Amino acid sequence: MTGPLTLDVVAGKMKEFGISEQVRRNRIRITTTPDKVHETIRTVQAILGFDRLITISAVDNSRTFELVFHLTGPHRMVISIAVELSHDLPAITTVSDILPPAAIYERQIHDLFGIVFTGNTNLNRIMLNEDWPADEYPLRKDWKPGPDTFYGGIKVERS
Amino acid sequence: MPEVVVSIGPHHPALKEPVNFKVIADGEKIVRLELDLSYNHRGIEKAAEQRDFVRVLPLMERVCGICSHAHSTAFAKGIEEIMQLEIPPRAQYIRTIIAELERMHSHLLWLGVAAHLIGFNTLFMWTWRDREAVQDTVEEMSGNRVHYGMNEVGGVRRDLTPAQVTAALERLPNLEERVNKYVDMVNNEETMLLRFRGVGKLSKEEALRYGTVGPTARASGIDYDTRKDDPYLAYADAPWNVVTDTQGDVYGRTRVRVWEVQESLKIVRYCLENLPEGPIRVPAPKNAPKGEILSRYEAPRGELVHFIRTNGTDKVERVDIRTPTLANWTSVAMCLVNQNLADLPVIVAAIDPCLSCTSRITLLDNQTKKTGVITLDELIRRSRSRDLGQV
Repeated sequence: MTGPLTLDVVAGKMKEFGISEQVRRNRIRITTTPDKVHETIRTVQAILGFDRLITISAVDNSRTFELVFHLTGPHRMVISIAVELSHDLPAITTVSDILPPAAIYERQIHDLFGIVFTGNTNLNRIMLNEDWPADEYPLRKDWKPGPDTFYGGIKVERS
Repeated sequence: MPEVVVSIGPHHPALKEPVNFKVIADGEKIVRLELDLSYNHRGIEKAAEQRDFVRVLPLMERVCGICSHAHSTAFAKGIEEIMQLEIPPRAQYIRTIIAELERMHSHLLWLGVAAHLIGFNTLFMWTWRDREAVQDTVEEMSGNRVHYGMNEVGGVRRDLTPAQVTAALERLPNLEERVNKYVDMVNNEETMLLRFRGVGKLSKEEALRYGTVGPTARASGIDYDTRKDDPYLAYADAPWNVVTDTQGDVYGRTRVRVWEVQESLKIVRYCLENLPEGPIRVPAPKNAPKGEILSRYEAPRGELVHFIRTNGTDKVERVDIRTPTLANWTSVAMCLVNQNLADLPVIVAAIDPCLSCTSRITLLDNQTKKTGVITLDELIRRSRSRDLGQV
C-alpha cells in the first residue's frame, strides 16, 4: 500500500480498537487497551501497511505506565498506538512474535521499568549491570536510590 | 564438533565501547549471538527529568561523542515543536551544515575503522587524515571538535561569519576529490572487495523484518531516510538523493556510506552558498506546554528518535531515546549466523584506533638495493595491474 493514508481511512478501519486522531501532518495516534494491542498491531500491519516498528516508548505518569508503539511503512505515515497499564501489576502480551525488532525494546523496558511482556522468552538484563538489585526499576517515578543499597560495581570507601 | 561459547568483550581490542557478545560457535562458524550492553548505562534519561531544557541540551550532546549534534538537534526540535516555535531559516541552515559535517566525519571515521579491521591500515590513515579537514571546519564554526554546543531551544547559539563560510567552502573541493577517490577504491580495490563482498549478508526482506535502520538498511535496498520521509531542518530545500544499494553485505554498506558522504558534501555546499540572512534564534519560553512528540532524526548510523513528553513545566516528564544502534542489533545478531568468527569485528564494525602508517610508500628494490618514493596514484595503478615495476 503506497500513497497518502488519511485519518478517515485509518479511523474507519481501526474503529473497533479505539479512537484515532491526527496529532501532526503525518502522524496518527490510536489509543487502545492492553488486551487489544496485539490485534491492533497485527491489523495495521496487514491492512494499512505499517510494517516497520520505529520504537516502543514507555512513560511512567505516576498513576499508570503508558506504552506507545510507533510504526511506519512504505507510505511514510507514522502511527502511534498508545496503551495504559496498571501500576501495580504491569504486564502485557509481547508483540515480538509479529514484530521481531520489538524483542530488544521490550527487554529494555522490562529492565528499566519492570513491565513484563508475557511470551517474550528473553527478558534478561540488557541496560543495567548484572549486580543491580532485583525489583528496583530506576526509570519509575517513585524510584529513589536507597542510602544503604549497593547498586553494583566496585565499592569505594570515602573518608 | 561441539558448540563452544566464545566471550568477546566487554574489553577487546576490536571493540572501542564496552559490549559483550557471547558468540556460540561451531568450529569457526558462528551459530548464535547473545548480547549484553549493560556496561555503560549512565542514567541520562533519568537525569534529563531533573533538569530544565537549557541544562538538558548539553546532557543530550553527551549521549554520543560522534553524533552529539544529532541528539541535541533531535531534542531541541522536539521541544520547539511542542512550544510551537518558528525557527528562523538561518538557524535551520546552520544546524543542517553541522549535521552533515557530522555525518561526513562519522562516515569517514567508520571507513577508516572498517579498513583497519581488515588490516588495510593505509586507508585507515587516509580517511582519518581527511576527516581532520571536516573536524577543522566544525572547530572553526563552533570552537569544538566533538561536542559542538551549537543548539539551543529556539535556534543556534553561534552565527557563521562570512569568513567562516568562505573558509569552509574552500575546504570542500579537496574533500570532494578525496571522497571520489574513496568511492573509486571501494569499488575497485581488491583488498576491500575480498574482505567485504558477501560478508554479513542481509537480504531486503530480512532487513525489513528485523527493523534495520540507516546505511545498513539502505545497503539492502530499503530507501527509508528520515531526511526525505519526514523532512526537518533544511533538507527539503537542498538538492540531494537517498542513496541505496542492492548488495546487502559489508561491501554494500561501505558503498552506501561513501556515496552518502558525497551527498552530504552537496548539502553542505548548497547550505553554505545559500545561507539565508536573518536572526539565528527566537526567544523561547521557559516552560513548555503539556504535550508529546516523537522527534525523528536521521543520524549518521540511522534513524534516531526522541520520544518527549512535557508536563507544562520547564522540565520534561520523560525523554525516551532510541538510538540507531539499538535498532540495528537485532539484524547484526541475525546476519552473523553462519559467518566466520574472524569476520565478526568487521560485521560489527567496531572502533579500534591505531597509529602506524603513512600516506606514501617507500619502495626498496631487493636486487639493486635502490630506494625511492612513488606517488599514491602510481601505487594504486601498480597494485591493480599487479605490475611491481621498477623503483
